[in-house]
Amino acid sequence: MLLFRSEEHAARWRERHDLADAATMPLETAWRLAKAWYERKLDPDWRRHTLEEAEALFAELGLVGEFWRLRPK
Amino acid sequence: MLDTAAQDREVRIAIAAEIQGSGAIPSAADVAARLGTTTDAVFEAFTRLFAARVLILDAASREILAFDPFSTGPTDFAVSAVGREWWGICGWDALGIPAALRSDGTLRTRCGDCGERLEVSVTGGTVNGPEGTVLQIGPPALQWWKDIIFT
Repeated sequence: MLLFRSEEHAARWRERHDLADAATMPLETAWRLAKAWYERKLDPDWRRHTLEEAEALFAELGLVGEFWRLRPK
Repeated sequence: MLDTAAQDREVRIAIAAEIQGSGAIPSAADVAARLGTTTDAVFEAFTRLFAARVLILDAASREILAFDPFSTGPTDFAVSAVGREWWGICGWDALGIPAALRSDGTLRTRCGDCGERLEVSVTGGTVNGPEGTVLQIGPPALQWWKDIIFT
């Protein structure tokens, strides 16, 4: 999960690594994802997101489609 | 005697407290000393917490490699926050460090393609970085934990 200076740079990396299905997102979305995912990690009552919560978060951030699917077919 | 779920919770809380207190990922011995238990018992809890995807272990030493978003370092994702230097194992985690610390922070890494330095700041809950910056995730979500180090 690397940062790139632009979509073009990310595309070059995908091509070199034969990872055509890799997903990119703008920095703002990445921050919102990281914040929602980790802001409670140090809390005593932290727990992992449930599958449903993770799916709802991805959907809220527009992270939809086959790449973001969390349930096996 | 605590059951394993309660033991794991105590160990997880101790890891979090060590990170907040010292700014570093604790060793099994550190956690054992904090909890007044044995290092072997902590290693057993680490193994269960790894299976539960709470942390990532170093396969050789069985010590914690990452208590995501915090990682042992150095890595390619350095974060300055609350007056300390931290390490993330990837871009997602590095952004998660100021989130978990509930603080501002500055992430320093390099473009995965060209190697140019990239600096991203989180200030007052808002992220700022060079225009056009993107995060790229290689494997699809279902595969993330099949090889979490690669992911």
